[in-house]
Amino acid sequence: MNNILLLEDLPEIRAWLKSLVLQVFPNARITECSRVQDALQQVQNSRFDLGLIDLGLPDGSGTDVVAKLRDVQPDAQSVVVTIHDDDEHLFPALQAGAYGYILKEQSRELITEQLQRISQGEPPLSPSIARKVIKYFANMAKPQANAMPEVSLTERESEVLLRVAKGFTLPEIGVQLGLSRHTIADYVKQIYRKLNVSSRAEAALEAQRLGLFRR
Amino acid sequence: MSAPTSPLRRLVYRCAQRCPAWLLVLLVIVLAAANGHAQSHAPVIEWRQAEVSRLSEAETADWSTARTVSLPDEWADSQPGRGGTAFYRLRFEAPLGRDAGALYGLYVERACSVLQVWLNGQRVHASGRQDEPVSRNCHQPQLVALPSALFKPSGNELVLAVRGHALQQVSSRLRAGGLSALEFGLYDVMAAHHAKRVVFAIRLPEVMSGTLALMGSFMFVMGWFNRKQSYLAYFGALMVGWALLLARLWATDLPLDNRSTELLLAALMGFVTLAAVQFLLRYANERLRWINILLPLQCVLLPISLLLAGPDRLYTASGLWFALLAAEVTMAATHYLARAHRQKSRQLWLMATLLTVVGVALTIEFTAQVAQLDSRIGYLAQLVPPLVYLALGLRLVQQYGRAYQSAEQSRAELEVRIREATAQIERNFAQLAELKVEQVTERERKRIAADLHDDLGAKLLTIVHTSESERISTLAREALEEMRLSVRGLTGKPVRLSDALGDWRAEVVSRLTQSGVQGEWSAPPDEETQQTLSSRAYVQTTRILREAVSNVIKHSGASQCTVRCALTAEGDFLLTIQDNGKGIPMELDGRLDKGHGMASMKGRAKQLQGQCLVESGPGYGTVIRLTLPLQQHVSGP
Repeated sequence: MNNILLLEDLPEIRAWLKSLVLQVFPNARITECSRVQDALQQVQNSRFDLGLIDLGLPDGSGTDVVAKLRDVQPDAQSVVVTIHDDDEHLFPALQAGAYGYILKEQSRELITEQLQRISQGEPPLSPSIARKVIKYFANMAKPQANAMPEVSLTERESEVLLRVAKGFTLPEIGVQLGLSRHTIADYVKQIYRKLNVSSRAEAALEAQRLGLFRR
Repeated sequence: MSAPTSPLRRLVYRCAQRCPAWLLVLLVIVLAAANGHAQSHAPVIEWRQAEVSRLSEAETADWSTARTVSLPDEWADSQPGRGGTAFYRLRFEAPLGRDAGALYGLYVERACSVLQVWLNGQRVHASGRQDEPVSRNCHQPQLVALPSALFKPSGNELVLAVRGHALQQVSSRLRAGGLSALEFGLYDVMAAHHAKRVVFAIRLPEVMSGTLALMGSFMFVMGWFNRKQSYLAYFGALMVGWALLLARLWATDLPLDNRSTELLLAALMGFVTLAAVQFLLRYANERLRWINILLPLQCVLLPISLLLAGPDRLYTASGLWFALLAAEVTMAATHYLARAHRQKSRQLWLMATLLTVVGVALTIEFTAQVAQLDSRIGYLAQLVPPLVYLALGLRLVQQYGRAYQSAEQSRAELEVRIREATAQIERNFAQLAELKVEQVTERERKRIAADLHDDLGAKLLTIVHTSESERISTLAREALEEMRLSVRGLTGKPVRLSDALGDWRAEVVSRLTQSGVQGEWSAPPDEETQQTLSSRAYVQTTRILREAVSNVIKHSGASQCTVRCALTAEGDFLLTIQDNGKGIPMELDGRLDKGHGMASMKGRAKQLQGQCLVESGPGYGTVIRLTLPLQQHVSGP
């Protein structure tokens, strides 16, 4: 994690986040941005391993930066850093390709730990987000699901989602299913990935449909 | 009120529908009764021969040139082209009787136009004016009383003077001069005979005239004010016209001379034709411009042409005209029937029957004139058309009434529909306004929420992460969480209880785990928790639970915490948070420490119409029991 993009409009919080990131990744080179336009430019020009992206910004939504980073640099990880904990704000960012989210007001220790977990491939998943994901895949158009089997959820992934939705923590689910912590984390990562892939496929189909109509 | 009238009305309708049949049957019965009575018992002598002396202007008869003629003597045949006065002389022996005081009667069925009678030189009868305007008694059966005192034992002489018009001067053969056969008998017998004939020849036509005129005027007015039903007006005109036509049978002394009267009658025929043709066309829903012009024109042309033709060609000219008029009416009737047949009108058979009856009656009337049939057939034929008109008139009025009724009904229905539609519009408008208010409120809430996040949230966040004091950081963090919950209560949608339980479990278990307290959670299965919580109830319960768990973590020093959720049979939601910590210290007044947020927890429970009980004792730990009446916080199933 050497190249990190930090998008945050409040200077104090940005400074605070920077010190926190440096604590987790001491060797990191951090590119700071306070506006969506700057961040989009940076994503175009420089390589990043990790992006910490705020959602509510003066000139737009961080979701666009998440999507752009996913498009331009598929290997880079996006983590949403926000004060919005509701799925209405978070879900679009997750669909756009974010691999997790951190609530900004949490204590330094908690955020540090979460950041470490995410970078190690253990993204968090709240019950409300899990419910939203379940609903999303349930409503997905059947033909689309059939056409791309790789984007529909496996039984295990659905099982994990259901348990998260009921309020079980990931370690608890690991114990219940007799799986290791890493395996559970993998499932969650797969769920995020499939959510993103499926959303992109959906968007592509939508574009194609509009194109067909235009022709 | 309406209940008793409706069966009555139905009865009247039914009667009206069968009216023509009823009237005809009635007429036939009356006629049959009259005929049956006509064969009288007493001896009646019928005279069928007389000597006639025809004069033009002379005062007295010249019997030297007299000839014998057979009665009835129709001048049209016996003295064509001549009118004036004719004297008829009959000689007869003293009537049969020894009874010197008996009164005898002479029945003259037809003496056209005026009759005077002398018995043995004594004038015994004069039926009207002899000079112009001559009385018009052609249709009047006459009865002459012959007192036996005037009879001589033998060689009685009866002289009848008939003043009449030549056929060419009148428009109907029935009004050309002539004398019918004479019947002589006892006065009583002859009077009874005469009375019966008068009923049919005079009284019934009079009654018909009156009835037709009355009903016709009524229908005319009705049609006049309802232009859509103009056929009513034409039918009314037809009836009035026919009433005037009938007057020729009973009106004897008119202040007009023969020629004017005949012209008027012919003109009246034109008018009646107009009315009849227009009625048939309008009734078939047709308005033809050329007909509208031609028929009135014909009405004017007819008398003018008769005037121009001169007094001595009246019969021929009017005959031609009547043939034309008859053809017009026949064509109109045929047209109507064809159209009604095409439109499958329910009136078809009724109208066809009535028109046929009228046609037959008129044909018989005409034939009776020419072929000199029994006068009774003529009487019957005269009476049938007015009866048919009356029946048809009743039928039309009934139809009109029914149409009016249904129009009223549909108007009432329309009114109801309009009222309903208005109410619907008002309701929709109210709903729309409500929706609009909801939309505006929703937008406003979102705006406030966004402002709170962006401004207040950002500032609190800055405090959280920049404050030197841990206490202030914590306070600001709690304030931020509070704000987030408030916003959620402001904008949030209802939450399903099972989802809320998932959220609460995740939060409680992860917080307890992070703090090193062993947590235990129990809740009913999903199937029992499908109710929906309002976002306010969700937010307040979250706060209470969060506060309680904070207390456990911060103050109790407990190593174990159990959270139990349950639903009671009464539909209440129970939340129990129990720890094994050191309990909450009591204040001096025996109340629990407010510093631990107990008061705010209780206040929140109260807001939701629930209650929050806290049991605590040193060494026993703390139990917080929250009871919420779920019914009041669910929204929908």
